[in-house]
Amino acid sequence: MAEPLVVFDNVVKRFGTFEAVKRMNFEIREGEFLAFMGPSGCGKTTTLRMLAGLEQPTEGDIRLAGKSLLDVKPHERDTPMVWQSLALFPFLNARENVEFGLKMRGMDKPARRRKALDWLERLGIGEFAERDVNSLSGGQRQRVALARALVTEPKILLLDEPLSALDAHLVIRMQGVLTKLQRELGITFVYVTHSQSEAFAMADRVVIMSKGEIAQIGSARDIYRTPASRFVAEFVGRNNIFAGTVNAAGNVETPAGTFTLDGKARPGDKVSFVVAADVVSLSVTKPAAPNVFTAQLISEEFVGSMVTLFFEAPGDTEVKVQVQERSLEGIPREPGQTLFLSFDPSHAHILKG
Amino acid sequence: MTTKTTKPDTYAIAWRLPLIVWQGLFFVGPLLFMVAMSFFLVKNYRMEVALQFSNWQRMLSKDFFWDAYFFTLWLALLATIITSLVAFPASYFLAFKASERLRRWAIFFLIIPFFTSYLVRIFAWQVILAQSGVINAGLSYLGLGPWQMLNTQFGTMVGYLVLCLPLAVILQTFSLANIDKRLVEAAHNLGCGRLRTVFTVVVPLAKTGLIVAAVFCFILSFGDFVSPYYLGGSKPPTLSIMIVDTSKSGQQWPRAAVVAIMMIVTLLVVAFTAIGFAYRKRGK
Repeated sequence: MAEPLVVFDNVVKRFGTFEAVKRMNFEIREGEFLAFMGPSGCGKTTTLRMLAGLEQPTEGDIRLAGKSLLDVKPHERDTPMVWQSLALFPFLNARENVEFGLKMRGMDKPARRRKALDWLERLGIGEFAERDVNSLSGGQRQRVALARALVTEPKILLLDEPLSALDAHLVIRMQGVLTKLQRELGITFVYVTHSQSEAFAMADRVVIMSKGEIAQIGSARDIYRTPASRFVAEFVGRNNIFAGTVNAAGNVETPAGTFTLDGKARPGDKVSFVVAADVVSLSVTKPAAPNVFTAQLISEEFVGSMVTLFFEAPGDTEVKVQVQERSLEGIPREPGQTLFLSFDPSHAHILKG
Repeated sequence: MTTKTTKPDTYAIAWRLPLIVWQGLFFVGPLLFMVAMSFFLVKNYRMEVALQFSNWQRMLSKDFFWDAYFFTLWLALLATIITSLVAFPASYFLAFKASERLRRWAIFFLIIPFFTSYLVRIFAWQVILAQSGVINAGLSYLGLGPWQMLNTQFGTMVGYLVLCLPLAVILQTFSLANIDKRLVEAAHNLGCGRLRTVFTVVVPLAKTGLIVAAVFCFILSFGDFVSPYYLGGSKPPTLSIMIVDTSKSGQQWPRAAVVAIMMIVTLLVVAFTAIGFAYRKRGK
């Protein structure tokens, strides 16, 4: 791969004494859909704002296409952004909002008008072009904001939690719109969100941030299956975390039971590992499988055809099991029921640190 | 069907009564009396009840009235424009650049002038602007003066700014501070330079507040008597000076009423037009 589109080189951002971003180093590849995810206050929005020039890094350098952005004013950068609040100009109608960026670039009136209308058409809201932005629905306003940012044909588009104000069903629809646009245009999308489902559904790579630092960068699959740290494993949520000590036989003794894992460990080492909720098997009788333990059913939760069962294993270990509802036939599911749980050694992922 | 008789809400009426009585006695009543008075006649320095249009005819057909009218309109307009232009950069700084702390102190200091009567402040300015006043003393020392400042339009304008500027800065600052900063960032983000953003985004967003501030300036300076009289030397007279002159000389209260009504109508038209423009929504 050629030179990455964006390089963050030892970037630090402090607000007074508060360190919002602590020495960040990462690259954004040309044409990828990169999502920043983390709890609020983790520095994800600050990172995005530094890229747009709305904040200046305290230390370090940000390069776009090989050129340092440090001395480039926000209005001289070609890094349009879609705001959480959308930040549409209330004194302009939908078309004029979209035209704004073109007007600033000195495009003549008929040309920019045509282009703005093309983009509104492309996003399916051509008929609302002359409408006041405040009279549009949330989804329509969202599309105006997207059109306004994309009309100048930038190399990179920044999105700051753009879907967080929308209804659930609209979020799914807009996710489709965004991924389709990104594929068609082939431009880089940098997306900031606190929503795991948004990030995992759309992004090629996800950056998990915590307290101003990158906790992990990788595909959704990597982050889900092989979390780099306990924080990531907990943040992703659908993982079970076990902690224990390696015994003389090389197995890990935890309060919930003794487990055989792949990989080498010295006796006496403290080890944490995660097992994804969807790889744990359930049975009423003790199965002839490795890594069997018992746990008490606490409650269950339905999401469509999937059901998540919440268990408590010895030593207050919480265990989540996610299965198809159909596969639970014949298994009693009263709260308080004790069941046998098991997982394959290859499905356990040992956490570093 | 039975018609429900609505009981008068005595509680609500009781609370409104003082205001209604006050306004009726001291605002609506005198106003109606003034309108009626403009049709009265004055004979031997005494007013007589009548319904004659002679006062209106006499005032509105005279050049001296219209000269004063347009001169007053011009002065008020000029004061409005100068105040708005001088206030804007200061308000912009307070709203966008200054810290919360500095902004609070600045608003406090802008309120302080209202601690003393406007009349007192104008007398102070008389001393400052006088031929032998502080400014001219300094200018003479440098060999650049003295300049005639008192009893000129310049003097009047200084007075109007003393009257309007603090209020204009306060009103403008509040309206600018209420602007969603993300919209300003969005403008930068879309390639709009800083100065250009002020005119293409900030001013339209603060339009209502900026116009309200300007309307206040216009109303205050259009009806002001103190500045044109004590700093402007009352030559040529403004409408407010004309009211005083007319009512004093020859007890021509009815003619003064004509001038006053013309002023009220002008202020109403200007204020309504401007406020309508300030709150105008874009066509759907």
